[in-house]
Amino acid sequence: MELESELKKYFGYDSFKTGQKDVITSILAGRHTLAMLPTGTGKSLCYQLPGLLLKGQILIISPLLSLMQDQVEQFKKFGEKRVIALNSFLTVAERKKVLCNLSKYKFIFISPEMLSVHFILTNLQELNISLFVVDEAHCISQWGYDFRPDYSKLGGIRKQLGNPLTLALTATATRKVRDDIIRSLDLDKIVKIDSTIDRPNIGFYVEKLPDYRNKQYRVIELVTRLEQPGIIYFSSKKSAEQMASLLMDKQICRAMAYHGGMDQNSRILIQQQFIHGQLDVICATSAFGMGINKENIRFIIHYHMPMQIESYLQEIGRAGRDGLPSIAILLYSPGDEQLPIQLAESELPSEQQIDWLFKKANQQHTLPDGRMNLNKELMTLGGFTDIQWRIVEEFVGNPALVTRNPERLQEIINDFIKERLLFKKTNIFRMKKWVESTLCRRAFIFDYFDEKMLEQTPSCCDICGLQLDDYQTTSKVSTVKNTAEENWQEYLAKILINCELRE
Amino acid sequence: MLQIELIILYCLKQLNNERTIYSIFHLLNGKKSSQTLQDAHLFSLKRFFGIYEPLTRESFDKITESMVEKNWIVTCGDQRYQLTPSGKTLLENNKLPNYINGWDYQFTSLVWERLSLLVQVASNFVFEEAKYIPIQKDKDVHLWLKSFLRDFNGQRKEMGNIVYSELIECFKEAIGINPSLLVFRLTGYQQIGLTPFQTAKKVNMDIHDYQIGFLNILHYLIQKIKQNPSQFRILVFLIRDVNVADDLTLSSRRTREFLNEGYPLEMIAKLRHLKLSTIEDHLVEFALNINGFSIDAYVDKELQVKILGISRQLATRQLKLIRENLKTATYFQIRLVLAKSGDKKWN
Repeated sequence: MELESELKKYFGYDSFKTGQKDVITSILAGRHTLAMLPTGTGKSLCYQLPGLLLKGQILIISPLLSLMQDQVEQFKKFGEKRVIALNSFLTVAERKKVLCNLSKYKFIFISPEMLSVHFILTNLQELNISLFVVDEAHCISQWGYDFRPDYSKLGGIRKQLGNPLTLALTATATRKVRDDIIRSLDLDKIVKIDSTIDRPNIGFYVEKLPDYRNKQYRVIELVTRLEQPGIIYFSSKKSAEQMASLLMDKQICRAMAYHGGMDQNSRILIQQQFIHGQLDVICATSAFGMGINKENIRFIIHYHMPMQIESYLQEIGRAGRDGLPSIAILLYSPGDEQLPIQLAESELPSEQQIDWLFKKANQQHTLPDGRMNLNKELMTLGGFTDIQWRIVEEFVGNPALVTRNPERLQEIINDFIKERLLFKKTNIFRMKKWVESTLCRRAFIFDYFDEKMLEQTPSCCDICGLQLDDYQTTSKVSTVKNTAEENWQEYLAKILINCELRE
Repeated sequence: MLQIELIILYCLKQLNNERTIYSIFHLLNGKKSSQTLQDAHLFSLKRFFGIYEPLTRESFDKITESMVEKNWIVTCGDQRYQLTPSGKTLLENNKLPNYINGWDYQFTSLVWERLSLLVQVASNFVFEEAKYIPIQKDKDVHLWLKSFLRDFNGQRKEMGNIVYSELIECFKEAIGINPSLLVFRLTGYQQIGLTPFQTAKKVNMDIHDYQIGFLNILHYLIQKIKQNPSQFRILVFLIRDVNVADDLTLSSRRTREFLNEGYPLEMIAKLRHLKLSTIEDHLVEFALNINGFSIDAYVDKELQVKILGISRQLATRQLKLIRENLKTATYFQIRLVLAKSGDKKWN
């Protein structure tokens, strides 16, 4: 079979991107596959194409609801209607209807939480699942930066579904994490396809500045000079908004902020405006970028330091998907690592909170069988955030742990928190080491992922002599002012009347 | 001055010191509680019900604080405010948004979502594009569009032209309205609409004024379509099967079922594990919303006349004042009578 002609037939592309063909060939040969493909190289095609060629259903486990919706929409855009996302967005009635008609769908996206619901699993068992896809597979490993306890149960679920052919996909996983994925899914024979994590067309540039005020000036300077469009990442919503207003008010470019605190409709519009070239720069938190298919992003600036190298690579990986030269700039001021450390701490419950919880639970919230009765009231009283509370629930509700006495359980939780915090701090520390590195930044990343750098990249990094001037914009016309103001009648006519057709 | 400030002035005047300023916040937010629904009726504020759902409490506080600073309103204790002479003058000399009709058009956001999807789909038909991502995500809105396409007996490529001329026709005679507030938010082929924030900036408006202005246009549009449905071949679909506003809260609906089966109030409270006062709230809701709901079983006719008489005489709807002058009536009875008399002017 000529895979290229199938690719052309279904998706209209002429050729595969790095790694895609190897993965698809391996899957079609019936081999379990673990594929590490760099961000932005079309991981989803690795199950989309085999899915169309294989009989039976494709089950895709995906951790993020928004990402799932995006993928479903992409499918529909290509004309594939036999696709459904089983997640908490569905109403009870809708879910019932979908479950009764599961066999009608070809591609079924599901969140790990849904998979742990017994009757949903029973429904899935009746299907003929030809491919079990674990997207963002690094979530399985507790050495992954984005560990999700629900993911660690996927091995068992896979068995209950009759050991279907499995594809685990990830963009960024160290060797340790990759080993963990294989062990957790309990796959003895597996083909590992590690395409390099490197994106040679993206150059690295780190700049040290005395404080945030200087950072602001520098961002304005960079945005003015660099070829657009671009994304500026922030760790706080407020600084993202401030910078966006600054860029707009000074008429530097068409900019908008994007973060999780905005209403869903505005978020959709801004994302689409950026994709359609109506905005030049997005000032975003990490909430922005998942599932964004925009080929020509020319720069990614980090105003704050990310929590780990993996996230950093994910975020800069949104640049230069068209293969053209692009630049990743990180701005660092002394003490910048404090913000990620605070974030890391706030994601975990504190020892005091756990202590309070167990005291409180001993007094009045014990079930007849001696287990702790966790209710939402305790969550509010103890000041737990959603993320913190999920960790507590995971431990208290874990059937393997409930029989132990409360003191022991408390110890286990506290040990876990300590270990997690240490792990996160190590990641932040490693990120900072990368910032402070005096050796090639690309080589540092290769080393972190146990890869060998085979040849020198021409525009590699600031240490290797990369020149920012090479990324300067060539067009001198500012996009802000040169659009003639149209009135509402003209705008309405523009979108609703096709003049070319009329003539 | 801002439209929202003018509206708050008007509401305060209507409330006549008898409610806290936050009752206005709940009114604008469209809170579906017995209290807010009753207030909307009692003080003739129905047209402002739910006209500013995205308003946050912080913004509301900021607006009212600045109104105090500008000396338009003055506190009279207990989160209550009244108009100063300059506030009164402002209210007399400025016009409230003409088309706002919050209570009757509670389905407005649905009409907007439909219009926005309709224009996007029509536009992509016109430019013969089949691959695009719908800007509206709500499944019911997608279903509505499907049913529209089924029932629309014209050429799909012509849809754009028709929608265009209908919108132009609709806005042609609009007085005191700027269609830009709505039009620039529409998405079409390869052209994404603006967010409320971006549109406000583009037309140089304060965001609060923008939100009210946007709603005012939608209400104008709805009214216009309702008046001449035959004139708007496509737009008329926007208001097809919009849920008739269900005026009752969920909980009160259940109370009504018990009531219809003949249970006394105390019994209903017991069966439903609710306080008697809550059940009484529900009855007041019925008096407000259900045509022909009789309150005679709870207040005899003679007392009803007396309560209304005193309310008129003192020109008040403050329960306490009425009660002080009519010791034979309970608070519940006074509320029922006032609710039943509703919007009827008392003088």
